[in-house]
Amino acid sequence: MPSSNPLPPKENALFKRILKSYEQKQYKNGLKFAKQILSNPKFSEHGETLAMKGLTLNCLGRKEEAYEYVRRGLRNDLKSHVCWHVYGLLQRSDKKYDEAIKCYRNALKWDKDNIQILRDLSLLQIQMRDLEGYRDTRYQLLMLRPAQRVSWIGYAMSFHLLGDYKNALNILNTFLDQQQKGSNFDYEHSELLLYQNMVIQESGDFQQALTHLKVYNDQIVDKLTYKELLGDLCLKLKQFDKAEKVYKELMKRNPENTLYYIKLIEAKRLTETDEIIMFYLDLVEKYPKAMPPKRLPLNYAQGDQFRNLVDKYLRRGLTKGVPPLFVDLRSLYVDPLKVEIIEKLLLQYVDCLQSYGKYSDTETNNGPKEPASTLLWTYYYLAQHYDHLSKAEEALKYIDLAINHTPTLIELFVAKGRIFKHAGDPLEACKWLDEAQALDTADRYINSKCAKYMLRANKIKEAEEICSKFTREGVSAMENLNEMQCMWFQTECALAYQRLGKYGESLKKCHEIDRHFTEIIEDQFDFHTYCMRKMTLRSYMGLLRLEDVLRGHPFYFKAARCAIEVYLHLFDKPLKDENAEQDIDIENLAPSELKKLRNKQRKARRKAEQEIAQAAQAQVKKDQYHKSKQQGDVEADTPQLDELIPEKLAKVSDPLEQAIKFLQPLQSLAKNRIETHLMAFEIYYRKEKVLLMLQSLKRGYSVSENNPKLHSCLIQFSDFLKRVRDSLDETVKEVLEKETETLLRKKNSTELNSEYLSKQGDSIEATLECCKVLYQLNPNNQECALKLVTSLDNKFKDVNIQTCANVLKALKSGALGDCDSLIEDFKLRCHKLFPYCTDFRPAAAAASLNLSNSCDANNHAKSTSATELQNSNSN
Amino acid sequence: MTRATIELGNVTPHNIKQLKKLNSVVFPVYYNDKFYKDVLEAGELAKLAYYNDIVVGAVCCRIDTSEKSRRLYIMTLGCLYPYRRLGIGTMMVNHVLNYVERDGNFDSIFLHVQVNNEGAIDFYKKFGFEIVETKEHYYKRIEPADAHVLQKTLRSKEQRNGTHEENGKENKKAH
Repeated sequence: MPSSNPLPPKENALFKRILKSYEQKQYKNGLKFAKQILSNPKFSEHGETLAMKGLTLNCLGRKEEAYEYVRRGLRNDLKSHVCWHVYGLLQRSDKKYDEAIKCYRNALKWDKDNIQILRDLSLLQIQMRDLEGYRDTRYQLLMLRPAQRVSWIGYAMSFHLLGDYKNALNILNTFLDQQQKGSNFDYEHSELLLYQNMVIQESGDFQQALTHLKVYNDQIVDKLTYKELLGDLCLKLKQFDKAEKVYKELMKRNPENTLYYIKLIEAKRLTETDEIIMFYLDLVEKYPKAMPPKRLPLNYAQGDQFRNLVDKYLRRGLTKGVPPLFVDLRSLYVDPLKVEIIEKLLLQYVDCLQSYGKYSDTETNNGPKEPASTLLWTYYYLAQHYDHLSKAEEALKYIDLAINHTPTLIELFVAKGRIFKHAGDPLEACKWLDEAQALDTADRYINSKCAKYMLRANKIKEAEEICSKFTREGVSAMENLNEMQCMWFQTECALAYQRLGKYGESLKKCHEIDRHFTEIIEDQFDFHTYCMRKMTLRSYMGLLRLEDVLRGHPFYFKAARCAIEVYLHLFDKPLKDENAEQDIDIENLAPSELKKLRNKQRKARRKAEQEIAQAAQAQVKKDQYHKSKQQGDVEADTPQLDELIPEKLAKVSDPLEQAIKFLQPLQSLAKNRIETHLMAFEIYYRKEKVLLMLQSLKRGYSVSENNPKLHSCLIQFSDFLKRVRDSLDETVKEVLEKETETLLRKKNSTELNSEYLSKQGDSIEATLECCKVLYQLNPNNQECALKLVTSLDNKFKDVNIQTCANVLKALKSGALGDCDSLIEDFKLRCHKLFPYCTDFRPAAAAASLNLSNSCDANNHAKSTSATELQNSNSN
Repeated sequence: MTRATIELGNVTPHNIKQLKKLNSVVFPVYYNDKFYKDVLEAGELAKLAYYNDIVVGAVCCRIDTSEKSRRLYIMTLGCLYPYRRLGIGTMMVNHVLNYVERDGNFDSIFLHVQVNNEGAIDFYKKFGFEIVETKEHYYKRIEPADAHVLQKTLRSKEQRNGTHEENGKENKKAH
């Protein structure tokens, strides 16, 4: 071990024992040995010993001291690779990967062939996706350890990740050539071959991939993957006969996999609807128990043929009592003709089941009756059917028939809740889900659904309580749900807090979700070594690619959208300082009283601060305890994150910067969603960044040029340009001139607006945006704008609860000027259209309606009274 | 068509509300919280009946040791209206009969039934129950308020001193 300050043999032996203690996690011993060296005045400033002492302290959770010792050690021995390596490890344990990479590089300057440092460096490089650096480090590792399998694989992978398939394959081939002699064909070898095949396929040479697959057939033990790859490659190479054979074998193996059916159709080159349906009908006979050959032809059949097939399918499901039958068929509802056929059939079933217990008149006299539950499932289906078609009245009729028939079926209450949710009454919906939940408190799915409905009704405390039935005991449910990364719950919480105007709390939830994503990305660290060792290279590739686009997940989008909306709101209307508000109130007080009050406030504040500090301290202690209990090793030692305090979050000084942090991942990973670009515009508009506004609009325009919100953004932009044009830089002006040609077509706001209105006038959403603009351009337009937007007549194709609620919100917000007299009238007309929706309920009717609803709930259960088998006693 | 499956299941704190719901629909009598608390302790004496995995019936009994005898009292036995005449009640009664047979130490099984409930009376007669008494004003808030006591005798008073084995045999013959 070269060092600028070598220790004599006795101390050197002690130093080696420190290293050993560290590796074996015997940190106390390590410190003891370090003390023995450092207590000798001759070596009290020995750099490497100081550094190692620091590293050991870090493992014991004493972070500050750790940094102090490691830095001191490094200062005393800048040419020691040990000191640099230790500093790198310390940084890595704090997730400061960039810094750690620098340290490792310095360490390598003094010991360029140190395997351990090179390995650690390569892990950081792949984690940070420094692919070129990774390739170079893997090259050095291969040169130093050419006998190791991992060296070859790692080097090949680095080329694969860089898209250099040729080199990747060359290295794999060279390595496999050496291996072949051993001929130990185990699972790991088989995985390596499949990985090689993956690289060949990605290089685009399917012929080569097919040949490769066939050559190594007997060495690949994962036969399912082998066959699936084989079939896929045959199809890609248009070797249809071979593909057909492969997919037939696969189907025999698992007739429930729908993909095999679709691929087999492709292999048989069936294109005519009749052929495809015949194909499925043949397979029904071959695999009578399989679902796909029964369900898939429904996607193709039309008219009478569809009626016959769906009739059979429905009867089977209803007789058997398949709860998700409707969900199964819902995808057919895009075709109105199919919806009509299904509805007719179901109404006929209900009729006949009620009268004779059979599906149709023609079979009254033959065969046994349907089970008693068939009618129930038919009611249940119809309720969901009408709910899907937004016919709340009909849906409720059938769900109540079902509940009267069998009040013990839990699904019915879930469905009833869902109907109310869709009809715009979240409170009533929540009530029915609570009922469902109570009927089976061991059902976690319904428990979660109930919690979600509670959050939709802004009942956050209740939701937490319900969830606590399934969270760990001894911890608050909220804490445990965060620990379990239960994102749906946290997202719904964030949205509920947003609705309630508790912006700090809402942001806290959004940040918690963002941290889950960070954590998932960090969690991949362990896989870099694990997957390479276990040779699960295909899954490893999948993992790396998933992590690259992780924040493209819809969960992130939802949370980010919420956070951005809240930050925009906080920018527009910053929270007032509470103390300042209080000061206004107390202006009228006498000076002596004021003094007393101030004293009291000060005391209270001090007490609160103390309590917070104590709580924080306790928390730190608890965390440390947990940590030392769970793990002693450095790698997993996570840095302490700042605590998320709602009050602080809500009083953020730079809301737009914070919003941008949430926006950026969306701009690269959710760029096909118009909302991403609309939000980007809103942020940059407030920052007055004209070119970034332009960029957002252009991107939005390419996603959906007729979007109503985009239209109003364009108008905002056009007005903004008019205001600032003269102050703009010449080059900027030039760019704008050129780039706005398609967007604004050299028209002014009024022209753009009337043009858009005439084009999109059949959409209430578009009309709303136009009318807002109309009013903003000239308040004299108010009457005309209001008339347009509140007409609700047949010309609008998108009148629904959401769009009407948006109009109402706009009216209330004053975006269309003062129009109080109109609001009640508009509400009343919406109320007629959507009688269950709470937003439109007239103030007077609201109270009585609530009352009658709750009576309904109590009554219907009692309404069936039974006599046949009953006997009773008052006990 | 495949036949429906009927089976019995336990009452647990998780599903007790289903029993409450069922009873509230099937019986005109309201049962208090104590009733359901006891049911949770009753083991095999309280059962839910499932028809194609849906709760459609339930039976709740307790052991009655008044009148110097050991008798099984059927507190409730009922089935949702659409699922009657499908063998669910029979299955529940058979469960009770099997229980007393296995136990071998019951003198009789009895229950109360509203005097106008002919369906129920006929049903129990099929299993060897007889009307042994009629109590006037037995029910408080429902009409008619009178109740028959239906009873199935398992061993006569003389037999009570006999051994368990003999009682068991007697029982089997009676069926």
